[in-house]
Amino acid sequence: MSVLARQIAPSARLLTPVTTAPACLLPRHFSVLNRPQPNYPGHIPLTFIERGALAVGSAVGSLINPRRGDLIATLGEATATPYFIYRLRDAMLSDATGRRILRDRPRITSSTMPLPYLRSLPENSVGRTYAAWLDREGVSPDTRSQVQYIDNEECAYVMQRYRECHDFYHAVTGLPIFVEGELALKAFEFLNTLIPMTGLSLFAMVRLKPAERERFFSLHLPWAVRSGLASKELINVYWEEVLEKNVDELRRELNIEAPPDLREIRRMIRRQQKEEKQRMGQQTA
Amino acid sequence: MSASRSALRPYVCSSCRHGVLAPRRRFSSKPAQNPEIYDVVCVGGGPAGLGLLAALRASPVTSKLKVALVESQDLDKARSWDLPTHEFSNRVSSLTPSSVAFLRRIGALELLDTDRVQDYQQMQVWDGETGSKISFDWAEETSPFEDPRTVATMTENANLVRALLSRIEASGDENLKIFSKTTVSSIENGSDHPDGPDLSAWPVLTVAPSEASPASTSEPPVRIAARLLVGADGINSPVRSFADIATEGWDYNRHGVVATLALSDSEAPTFPAGMRTAFQRFLPALGGPIALLPLPNNHATLVWSTTPEHAAYLKSLPPNAFISMVNAAFRLSMTDLKYMMKMKRVGEEEEVNQHDAELTWRLQHTPQPNHIPPMVTGVQERSVASFPLRFRHASTYISPRVALIGDAAHVIHPLAGQGLNLGLGDVASLSNTIEYAVTHGMDVGDLLSLERYSTERWGANAKVGGVCDLLHKLYNVPGQGPVAWGRSLGLNVIDRLPFVKGFLMRQAEGGA
Ligand SMILES: Cc1cc2nc3c(=O)[nH]c(=O)nc-3n(C[C@H](O)[C@H](O)[C@H](O)COP(=O)(O)OP(=O)(O)OC[C@H]3O[C@@H](n4cnc5c(N)ncnc54)[C@H](O)[C@@H]3O)c2cc1C
Repeated sequence: MSVLARQIAPSARLLTPVTTAPACLLPRHFSVLNRPQPNYPGHIPLTFIERGALAVGSAVGSLINPRRGDLIATLGEATATPYFIYRLRDAMLSDATGRRILRDRPRITSSTMPLPYLRSLPENSVGRTYAAWLDREGVSPDTRSQVQYIDNEECAYVMQRYRECHDFYHAVTGLPIFVEGELALKAFEFLNTLIPMTGLSLFAMVRLKPAERERFFSLHLPWAVRSGLASKELINVYWEEVLEKNVDELRRELNIEAPPDLREIRRMIRRQQKEEKQRMGQQTA
Repeated sequence: MSASRSALRPYVCSSCRHGVLAPRRRFSSKPAQNPEIYDVVCVGGGPAGLGLLAALRASPVTSKLKVALVESQDLDKARSWDLPTHEFSNRVSSLTPSSVAFLRRIGALELLDTDRVQDYQQMQVWDGETGSKISFDWAEETSPFEDPRTVATMTENANLVRALLSRIEASGDENLKIFSKTTVSSIENGSDHPDGPDLSAWPVLTVAPSEASPASTSEPPVRIAARLLVGADGINSPVRSFADIATEGWDYNRHGVVATLALSDSEAPTFPAGMRTAFQRFLPALGGPIALLPLPNNHATLVWSTTPEHAAYLKSLPPNAFISMVNAAFRLSMTDLKYMMKMKRVGEEEEVNQHDAELTWRLQHTPQPNHIPPMVTGVQERSVASFPLRFRHASTYISPRVALIGDAAHVIHPLAGQGLNLGLGDVASLSNTIEYAVTHGMDVGDLLSLERYSTERWGANAKVGGVCDLLHKLYNVPGQGPVAWGRSLGLNVIDRLPFVKGFLMRQAEGGA
């Protein structure tokens, strides 16, 4: 099972809004000795220095090991505040559907998204494609970690929503979760969401092999830039309501072009290499 | 002198005056056409014009001057203006303490209906984008045992106009002529009558009953000559055109939405008791500030400067949605407000108030500062209106035998509520100038006499108008860029430096 950017979620999935005491917009001043009350269940208030250390640490960690999904998620939270997550929330608040999502606060789990139902949907529907993608990657909707470090409870939900919808992004774009695909998607997401972590994780590019990097620059990055800039904000898609929609139609609506399927490409390349090797072996034999 | 005269009134053909006009006039069978001569003729019976007349009548030095006022509207209506105690006109202005002092000096203050006047002792101003704020009160300068000092006084323009009219009436009708429902149809230079005074350098007005009035057909036009012609005739001043005075200016492409509102009883008792506050929040993303200024009995007047599109939208809303928008504008983020300004209008009253639903929901997620106004609970019927915001400044306020005051001389952005105060400042200065000229035996229409007025007022008004213009521009830069940082830094710094704030407040108070 491939577990990039993913972790078994804690059992407390419900992110209830804290309506009585709205979170502060300004960074608060406190020390580790008098840490304030959490603003929502699971919230860990951080000092400015802790937040910085967390960002640097998780950035270095995820660069060394891009499969540490928890670190990538942490990096996302540590760098999303204060500005970027507000931008994403404001993008939602500027859109009728986005506002509805913020009001309803839907969560994507295996109980709200039953896989058997998704698999029963027509071929090429969003739900079926999503289920097929989950099956192909061997993952489930429950494998997203809980937001912990974002202070504003509404922004914490936005981050949570972004994280939970990530699998749908894979589904509609058709990108696999190998490093190249993940990178292409991150580039796409960065331009679509402007969450810095998605941009920062592009540094993982340094770990690509020369041929991979070549393909990334000539094929996937141009796709990511074109689609990321031209497409509507994906955070405003009410995925729960478009499950039965045709995926091509949705892609058209959102203005995303279909990217080349990396997995196919890899398989092709692997076949070529094998054939080459066999030919070489035959020659030497 | 003659050179400037011909430059100012180019359409008077001085060479043919003696050759053609004068001989013909000599044989005219209508000697009654000789204009009646006044020392001061004031065109315009708005707050500025009536203020000047009241000031001249109040001073023992100038009360003997022969004065006339021409106003195209019906002043009887203004005299008998009356509203129930719980209703207020939507044209309300804030008078600075120096304007109030001036009104007291000319004996007009005690004629105001005080039940309809509201002082406020504190002003909260903040930036809706960055949250930085500045609060104005005199707490730093008064001892805790004194009553808090008034920042400004809210008065309906109609209340003020009525008081000024009563003050003028109280001065008797000797040497006074008021042409009500009468419009100035032309102004030209007079001529040199052999059997009368040489009026060739004097403005002569032809006034006729206003179009709408029933007298317009019966009464013939009247001609009056002015030793000093005062233009208090508003933004499109005919007097200014006559004197050929250029104005610089532009339209802001913004409208001021006004309304009379009812407020909820505030739960928190004010300290000291009875203290009232004015509120202004800058909304860069919507084109200007929204201000809520207190009126008696928990009422308030609204001035919301915004784009013409937003103004049209607000005016089209049913009352409950309009109220929700006003409450939202003092509380929600720019993003929410921009969204709500585009929401489909619900025509029917009985349908759900979507604007209110949005407001209630967003309030749960929007942290509130502690200086917001009480909730608006009602809007007075037919009180929602809007007017275009403009900047105009005459290149000079005087020319031979002509002076401009009030909106005829300057129109500024209302964000500091200074429009009417500048006009009253003009009146105080011009009436002093006339008094000085009379005491010293000078001709009140002479440019040398008027010089003092222009010197006192032009620069001062330019400064206030310029600051308002600057603030308008500064607070129209949306987003969190350097301009927003700069202005929040500015506000926060000013808020923390009592000396600077005291200086600014004394400036706003009218240089007292
Ligand atoms: C719709 C509107 C709403 C406003 N709301 C506010 C507000 O809420 N707060 C605020 O501080 N300021 C407000 N202002 C600005 C404020 O009203 C002016 O600054 C103030 O009225 C200026 O007084 P004034 O006497 O100089 O001119 P005006 O009040 O404009 O008076 C000019 C007078 O001249 C008369 N006149 C013009 N031409 C002729 C002619 N040819 N013959 C005879 N008479 C003539 C007109 O009938 C008018 O009565 C508002 C302005 C407008 C137009």
